Amino acid sequence: MILEIKDLHKSFGEKEVLHGISFQAESGRALGFLGRNGAGKTTTIRILMDVFHADRGEILLDGQKFVPQKYRIGYLPEERGLYPKRRVMDQMIFLASLRGISEKQARQNAKRWLERLEVEAYADKKLETLSKGNQQKVQLASTLVHDPQIVILDEPFSGLDPVNSQILKDVINELIAQDRMVLFSSHQMSYVEEFCDQIVIIHNGSVALKGELKQIKKEYGRNRLILAVEDLAPAQLAERIPGILEGTASVSAVKRDFVILELSEGEDMRRQTMRRLIDSGLSVELFGSYEPSLNDIFVARVGTENNQPQEGEDQ
Amino acid sequence: MKKLWIVLKYELKEYFSNKPFLIMTVALAILGAAAMFLPRFFDLSDFTGVQVTQREPETSTQGERELYLYLDEAGILEKEALTAVFPDADWQPVESREEMEALMSGGELSEAGLEETSRTETEDQDAAGQGRVPQAGFVITGETSYEYYVYNKSMNDGNMVMFDQVMGLLYRSRHCAEQGWNLEEIQAMYDVPISVTEQVLNKDSGENFWYCYVLVITVFVMITMYGQMIAVAVTNEKSNRAIEVLVTSTTPNSLLFGKVIAGAVGGVFQVGLILGALLCSYQWNRQIWGGQLDRFLHVPAEVLAAFAVFGLGGYLFYAFLYGAMGALVSKTEDVSKSVGGLMVAVMAVYFVSLIQLTNVDGPVIKVLSFLPFSSYSTMFARIAMGTVAPWEIILSAAILFASIMGVGVVGARIYRMGTLRYGNPIRLTSALKEIHRDK
Repeated sequence: MILEIKDLHKSFGEKEVLHGISFQAESGRALGFLGRNGAGKTTTIRILMDVFHADRGEILLDGQKFVPQKYRIGYLPEERGLYPKRRVMDQMIFLASLRGISEKQARQNAKRWLERLEVEAYADKKLETLSKGNQQKVQLASTLVHDPQIVILDEPFSGLDPVNSQILKDVINELIAQDRMVLFSSHQMSYVEEFCDQIVIIHNGSVALKGELKQIKKEYGRNRLILAVEDLAPAQLAERIPGILEGTASVSAVKRDFVILELSEGEDMRRQTMRRLIDSGLSVELFGSYEPSLNDIFVARVGTENNQPQEGEDQ
Repeated sequence: MKKLWIVLKYELKEYFSNKPFLIMTVALAILGAAAMFLPRFFDLSDFTGVQVTQREPETSTQGERELYLYLDEAGILEKEALTAVFPDADWQPVESREEMEALMSGGELSEAGLEETSRTETEDQDAAGQGRVPQAGFVITGETSYEYYVYNKSMNDGNMVMFDQVMGLLYRSRHCAEQGWNLEEIQAMYDVPISVTEQVLNKDSGENFWYCYVLVITVFVMITMYGQMIAVAVTNEKSNRAIEVLVTSTTPNSLLFGKVIAGAVGGVFQVGLILGALLCSYQWNRQIWGGQLDRFLHVPAEVLAAFAVFGLGGYLFYAFLYGAMGALVSKTEDVSKSVGGLMVAVMAVYFVSLIQLTNVDGPVIKVLSFLPFSSYSTMFARIAMGTVAPWEIILSAAILFASIMGVGVVGARIYRMGTLRYGNPIRLTSALKEIHRDK
């Protein structure tokens, strides 16, 4: 399945919050759907789920108009929500039934998912009596209880300890292996890097960056090098760089263990930089291509402007 | 439709697995039914006029008889007149106002003079007739005037009214004697019994007024109580964010209709069981009550049917509105603010209905009986007490049920719009504008 979101526009009152969002997701792969708070991620997901109507734009699945009611979609919202005073099993069956599963099948599925997530002991307990982490796992089980074809996970790791995080990682990998389409939204970039082949970064209601993560990293690392030398801290090294590498490279960033250099425009700058470093007599400890983390890319793209969500709206 | 049924089933399960709800319903039904059996076990013949429990014929002992004091300054008092009006009382003359006041205040007259004791102590000594506390005292100052003495005057003190009769009787008796007239003949002429046979050809408003009153109050209570519960339930789903998952799992129509209908079933079950137990139990014991509660509890079947149709209709009409209002706020403490306007409308209809119950064929109630926000009580009142054509009932019911559907659909749109908007309460006008724009 290929899901195409094309040119979505949405306004609340006079304010337009989405200005033509377009991206694409495929089954059997996970798409990292990223953005700062209030960027428009939740609004986009709600349009996808047919909770809001887009003012303009369209959503297609395999080239046909996407009608969410025709597909099994599992949505784990960032704002967790189940009935605190009702029994876990009851509400899981209720939600599965609403999503088109028979009550008998729903009970079986609920049992299976509660066991898979190691919370089967709480099936007959009221949700409010569970710890935050276990509530989170019940929420995830409720998202998956109807065996969805499309899974949308908004901050699925929040509130989970490392052991539970590992269980969830395994579950997500299983979903991907089972050819499900996974849309994964998180501010914890390490998780996104772990699962997602593709990313979309939304900023102020527009797509700021999208594509294959590997390719994006390569693009962002192009003409950049990392450098560390013995006996000099990165900050001290950064002070000496302009004198040594003038005309070939400049300091792009100073990290805890190394300095990132940006090569100047021109032929063979990498080789010239290396030669100058050797000539300078510095004892080079680390020299190589720079591969940025997703966090660096994210901060570089959207981290500079202040972007608060619109009052009264959870975008 | 299937999803509506799933929501309805889930919400109903919540109502019927709620122990406090069930216990309260059953307890009230049992209490109501049991209350109707009271005359079988306790002597309520003073109220019902029917003697059921076996008891010894009353012979009032001196201790049970009330004691009154009198000081006849005018010299006109006759014991027969006192006995005629106060058959179960003892009368004791006193010499002065001071003596009367002292006795009234708890003092005891002895040969040695007045002995002061507290009134409480004196009350405790009453059984033997010694130290009995007088109920009241009368000083007759003239042919048509007297002074009344009482220690603590109760809310329903009727002594003066009765003593007025004594004074009137004495006056008439003296006057007739002076004129040579026969008092008994004159009294018989004044008190001649009139025989009447009533033939009510249609409805007896006097008879129907009270149960109509009770049923209007019942619907009012149902609307305000269960409406508030529905609004709070919707707001709760917003505040605990369950709505985030629900609106992506089914339609707002299914959610709101399911919730409101479940609330209606829960409300009808609770009120129906309590009211049914009360009515059936009264019907069973009606003879023992001497029909004294007919005006409240002997409701004709056609009136109950009208109550069921219009009461339930009105309840559903407002329940949808309460549900929609609940969606406009994010915190349960804001619910009362959100439903305030609705509450004013419900109360206005309630008061106008009650006022108009005495004029059920008037123009105001006629107009109100066709408007969906008021027909639940006004058309019902017209059916019970007034003159109403069948076409009027059908038209009013049709308008009411069409309006319920309309309000349900608009309510679901408000619900859809409001449920995912958190923060400050949303104004109804803003919500309606947004719905209009999104159409």
